[in-house]
Amino acid sequence: MPITFHIPAALREFTAGHGAVKIDASPATVAEALTALWTLYPGLRDRIVTEQGQVRQHINIFIGNEHIRYTGGLATLLADGAEVSIVPAVSGGSL
Amino acid sequence: MIGQILGHCRVTAKIGEGGMGVVYRAYDEVLHRDVAVKVVKKHSGFDNTSSQSLLHEARASSSLSHPNICTIHDVGETDGELYIVMELVEGKSLHTMSAGKGLPPESVLRYGVQIAAALARAHDRGIVHRDLKSSNIVVTPEGLVKVLDFGLAKRVGGALLEAPTLSFSSVNTASSMSGTLPYMAPETLRGEAPDARADLWALGVVLYELASGRLPFEGRTGFEISSAIMREIPKPLGPPVPPGLWAIIQRCLAKEPAQRYQRASEVQAALEAVQSSAIVSPEPSPDSSPAAPPISIMRSVHNIRAKKGDFLLLVGTIKGAFILRSNAQRTRWEVGGPYFHGNPVYSLAYDGRGGQRRIWASTASFWGTLLRSSDDFGKTWTNPQQAPVRFPADTGVSLKNIWQITPGLTDEPNHLYCGVEPAALFESRDAGESWSLVRGLFDHPHRPRWMPGNGGLALHSIVLDPANKQRIYIAISSGGVYRTENGGSTWTAQNRGLRAIFMPDKYPEFGQCVHKIAMHPSRPERLFLQNHWGLYRTDNCADSWTDIANGVPSDFGFPVVMHPHNPDCVYVVPVESDQFRCACDGRLRVYRTRNAGASWEPLMRGLPQKGAYETVLRDSMTADNYDPHGLYLGTRSGQLYGSRDEGKTWHKILEGLPAIVCVRTGIIDDGSLMSVHPVREERRTAPSNSARHKSTRNKTSTRKRKARE
Repeated sequence: MPITFHIPAALREFTAGHGAVKIDASPATVAEALTALWTLYPGLRDRIVTEQGQVRQHINIFIGNEHIRYTGGLATLLADGAEVSIVPAVSGGSL
Repeated sequence: MIGQILGHCRVTAKIGEGGMGVVYRAYDEVLHRDVAVKVVKKHSGFDNTSSQSLLHEARASSSLSHPNICTIHDVGETDGELYIVMELVEGKSLHTMSAGKGLPPESVLRYGVQIAAALARAHDRGIVHRDLKSSNIVVTPEGLVKVLDFGLAKRVGGALLEAPTLSFSSVNTASSMSGTLPYMAPETLRGEAPDARADLWALGVVLYELASGRLPFEGRTGFEISSAIMREIPKPLGPPVPPGLWAIIQRCLAKEPAQRYQRASEVQAALEAVQSSAIVSPEPSPDSSPAAPPISIMRSVHNIRAKKGDFLLLVGTIKGAFILRSNAQRTRWEVGGPYFHGNPVYSLAYDGRGGQRRIWASTASFWGTLLRSSDDFGKTWTNPQQAPVRFPADTGVSLKNIWQITPGLTDEPNHLYCGVEPAALFESRDAGESWSLVRGLFDHPHRPRWMPGNGGLALHSIVLDPANKQRIYIAISSGGVYRTENGGSTWTAQNRGLRAIFMPDKYPEFGQCVHKIAMHPSRPERLFLQNHWGLYRTDNCADSWTDIANGVPSDFGFPVVMHPHNPDCVYVVPVESDQFRCACDGRLRVYRTRNAGASWEPLMRGLPQKGAYETVLRDSMTADNYDPHGLYLGTRSGQLYGSRDEGKTWHKILEGLPAIVCVRTGIIDDGSLMSVHPVREERRTAPSNSARHKSTRNKTSTRKRKARE
């Protein structure tokens, strides 16, 4: 079962307009899945992680409904057919 | 019918004929006005009950008073035929206007908002249109939308559509009668009683048609059209249709009424938001089909039309950038933008070296910080796949913000510099294609002990010595001033005499919170400095600094701007304190020295002098290169002021912008850099009169012209 990434509208410029991207490989972890994602769409990398490979501060990655922050971060193991959502944080309160 | 009296209207001419009946022009002989009279055709299935219902509906609709609804004045019956007296609307139908090619997105949004407003008013009164289509929406010569035939379709078409079993052939019949099949909602086709949400579906069809010039659901037969409405997803609309508009259309065209907007006022608000560019693209549900790729150009963004010799004012705010265009007079402004909606733009630069017309901008967002450029005055911007300014992996450091973009010297048009946060200098030797970290500064042993100021640990000032290409000054908040004498290989702290009131040692070797430094190219050994408390000058390449705060109401402030032709003249904007950071006493005043800091005088004519608790941030004031030169400042409350007479009198150029964080200038095809960026000029050692400055400048521009030729 492939992994499916859900891409936010702001980044679809870099996925030829696709809101959902399937990765046919079976990556073991979120980090591996993301690497496969950048191979397919290189423009996504610098938008989602810093040049040091850390997920940007206001970007959230969910496996299903679970934030990877609580499941081991980029080392979180992926099940077959996992649905990975990339979601910008909701901002509020600041100027 | 011509010449006949209906009620108190005399029919004068036939205007047209539609599915519902014939429309005449008539003259109301009581109220003395031209009106339109629609005489409704009778047909099978239109019995007395239907006729009474239509009268009832028309009377109800006549209660609707809205600028976007064609008003119904009167209804009646004559010779067994129904007639409706209504406002005479002259103009073109949207069907005619959009046929084949569609309308520009700005027009689609402008008309869409008005149609939605009309629907919102009617729905609030419990009146559903049920026959909304491009051919019964008229735009007057003044650009006002008028929706016709409100409430009239309900019984006419309804008599057929409410039949319990609806075959496609009968739909086909309905289509040939009313011509509205392409606008019918799926639930209407299923035979369910349509409600206000069917009007929102029809609005979606109309918007699609206006945007593209074609219908979303097409077919050669009624069956094919109905089938498309029930099952097919309309072909996505890409550029120039803004993604936000396409998202609204998609939601209007949700097959299930529950998945659409529920109220016309919601559609109106969404269209208005796209119109003002507040919303780029609502998030579609994950299971929707791939949307058209978002584009970086929104048609609701205004682009300036600039030409050779025009003057540009670049304004960066915390919510995007604006490009203002004028000519040498600088009295009238065309405002372009906003660009990079919602993203802070802390640095901008115009680079006209080597015949270019390039605008540089840095954008910061959740998705990272990017250096971008436009060669067509903002119409299109680069959006590189890989961030061009990035820390190497071995540094372990990530880019937070780009605070400064500084084009290199005029005769080195491929050289560019960026000052960033966390404090570091980047340079490009290929006109911004590739960037590298200036290691000499990054590896400085002081770096671990620099401390972030309120705005972060920012390298915000880059000053190039036009007389010595190996010498560069940078300033860091809070780190102080550093200088290289060898093109960046090694750097020394140059802070002797600069106070750091927040440190135990008030005069440390480094660690000062410098806010800005400025140099006049004709006297590169001299720099002026606005400190976090303190105004300073050096005349010895920053080997030592002298306090020059002689007569300013406060020596706290952010910008320091050089007079472009007088090396003894600089401008600052004192603010009350580091705690308050607002113009002293609520009076916005620029202070000027014309004697290199021996004394200062306020410039305030035209600037608010009461209750103006304004702040002008470090890059939010700049000068142009004319003679007499202009000065421009932007405030944290989004006011943009300009002066054409070296600060003597000021005018408000724009207000209501987001907080302004950067103001820069440029002259198209002038060949030189503007304001703070030094140009190579003959070195003079003593202050000179304005005539000499002028001659130097003229010589310089002649040389540049020659170089270009």
